[in-house]
Amino acid sequence: MNAVITLIIGFLGIAVGYGVYARSIDKNIMQPDDKKATPAKMYMDGVDFTPANRNVLFGYQFKSIAALGPIVGPIVAVRWGWLPALLWIIVGTFFIGWVQDYSSIMLGVREDGQSFGALSYRLVSPRARTILLTFIYFYLLLIMGAFGKIVGYDLMSNPAVPIGVLLVILIGLLAGQMTYKWKMDIILTSLVTVVLAFVGIWIGTLSGVQSLLTAINGSPDTTVFGSVTWAQFFWSLVVLVICYFGAVLPIWRWAQPINYVAFWIVFLGILGGTIGLLIWHPAFPADFPAFTNWNGDLCAATDCSGVEKTVGAMGPLWPLLFVTIACGAISGWHSLVSSSGTARQLEKESDALYVGGGAMFLEMFLAVLSLLTAVVGVGVTRGFAGYVSLVAAGKNAGVFAVGLSEMMSHIGIPVSFGLPYGSVFLTLMALTIMYLVVRFMRVASAEFLGDSIPLFKNTTFGTLVALALSALFIWTGFWARIWILFGGANQLMASLALLLVTLWLKSNGKKYLWTLIPFAFMFVTTIYALLLTAYKVLSTLSGLPVDKFVGNILAGVIAIYLVAAALILGWDAFKAFRRPGAEAKVEA
Amino acid sequence: MNPFSSLPIVSHKLRNLLKTLGEILYGATVYEMVRDLHKERASLEHMFTLVVFGDLLGVPILPPYYTLRLLPYVVPNITGWRRSMLRERDLTDLCDQEIT
Repeated sequence: MNAVITLIIGFLGIAVGYGVYARSIDKNIMQPDDKKATPAKMYMDGVDFTPANRNVLFGYQFKSIAALGPIVGPIVAVRWGWLPALLWIIVGTFFIGWVQDYSSIMLGVREDGQSFGALSYRLVSPRARTILLTFIYFYLLLIMGAFGKIVGYDLMSNPAVPIGVLLVILIGLLAGQMTYKWKMDIILTSLVTVVLAFVGIWIGTLSGVQSLLTAINGSPDTTVFGSVTWAQFFWSLVVLVICYFGAVLPIWRWAQPINYVAFWIVFLGILGGTIGLLIWHPAFPADFPAFTNWNGDLCAATDCSGVEKTVGAMGPLWPLLFVTIACGAISGWHSLVSSSGTARQLEKESDALYVGGGAMFLEMFLAVLSLLTAVVGVGVTRGFAGYVSLVAAGKNAGVFAVGLSEMMSHIGIPVSFGLPYGSVFLTLMALTIMYLVVRFMRVASAEFLGDSIPLFKNTTFGTLVALALSALFIWTGFWARIWILFGGANQLMASLALLLVTLWLKSNGKKYLWTLIPFAFMFVTTIYALLLTAYKVLSTLSGLPVDKFVGNILAGVIAIYLVAAALILGWDAFKAFRRPGAEAKVEA
Repeated sequence: MNPFSSLPIVSHKLRNLLKTLGEILYGATVYEMVRDLHKERASLEHMFTLVVFGDLLGVPILPPYYTLRLLPYVVPNITGWRRSMLRERDLTDLCDQEIT
């Protein structure tokens, strides 16, 4: 198998999925009508409802759905071998991913731009909305835990990374100043800040700077509590401070301009990696297994005697692979973006497929590219053993950085620069999401608890509580388990989205099997994955250091809560499905 | 047959392709910034309308003299403003940002 052939298979998946299956559903079942006024036109208020050009909306949708999920998920899933991961990315997107994104947009458009909270209340049951909100809250907390560990433990602990990241953040602030205060041209601002960002990343690679950071990191054996080392603790704290500023400062001052500069770092990295891969066109390494084993046990697939740390088995391929790769195949968050954001900006109904379906298929391409960074980027240069040792050291993000740097080296970018560049790329991707999450959690706690405890309406207090909860998840537990829970909460939201669309289709007398079957599959798979995770974390408590012990208890409780909430939701869905009309009977 | 006869078509298609790519890039970069600014402006306008014409929503504000002077300018936006102010919102309304 050649890497370019894999990309071609991905393109074929896009061509057939988008060109045949999606178009047929769009034409025969949803039947978009451009003569109908969309909510964006009907209720244009300049705040939420504003019509936008389809290409602009495509870019907006893609940027909103594609972040760290489609990059890290496939790399972790390679533990079962590259073939199951590749198949799930392509088949999952083909039959479920685009279905959810596109149908969520259409549901929003046809239901006056109502959000999923309101639709859950109306179509399923009043408590379905509350369950959805709790899914969202846990999802956000788990994002903080999973991404915080990636950045604080893995990426920032590398001496070549932090200075680059901090300088890019400063340059982002400069971009905000140039745009909003000095009113400078956006093209000039972009050119200046992106070039400066590259210089910033290069400064981070200088040996003097690295020596200083190595000294700050201290000895890897120095632990602060439990198994948390000083470097992990310190850099996680820095990450939380960055998140604090992102959550409390005005969006134009911090989050927006930093995200803007970070976008170019990410975009140029993906572009450079893709071109480099096409020039390189390596074959898959012979020692990299297409399928390792059912339990994703790397040490059963290869000799682990040379690996410093032990690497445990992930668990059974079904169901765990299907929650490990969430974004990239299907993600519940997309349905919320699609219904609350995109559906309210759609100019014509016929744009929904291009925007929702098209962006999802493009995300699939990103997931395939990420898979290739592990299989050929790392596999060709370091072999399967190289992948195993990086994973064993907890460097899942490091796999991507190594792979991307190898790909970019074929367009002339030296690995010595490409490696920190890949790490800064991932760190920025995670950070730009994390401070938005903290912002969101602060608003959520004010909404949930503000009336009973007015202190939660205070911005600083709400933010500090969100950060304290995040720290708890970052400094405790096992990353792989948190990642599975994060995927589980995400996939439960996806199940709910597919359920809402199914109920809506049924109530409108349309064919609904194309959403009902994906709903049933995702629902059963996710519940099983969460039950397995709960069992695994709660049955292995003895002998753990304090941080892992607390983390396992937390993970177990969350997994059990998610399963219980999902079962209640399933029961309400069953009742709603049996009703002649799909509207929930709400008590006055 | 003139081999250059298809050049205008090719150049037209190329222009369209570049325009499309430019729009997609705009959507992924600056659009969100522009949208946030529009939102900010519209929120301030809505707030102003609420202060001056709050009685239209049942807020007990005695309309001052200046309300009448401003009325002609506000009339075109009143329907959208009322709908926006009275629309039920929950947390899922905030989920239009990049978080995954």
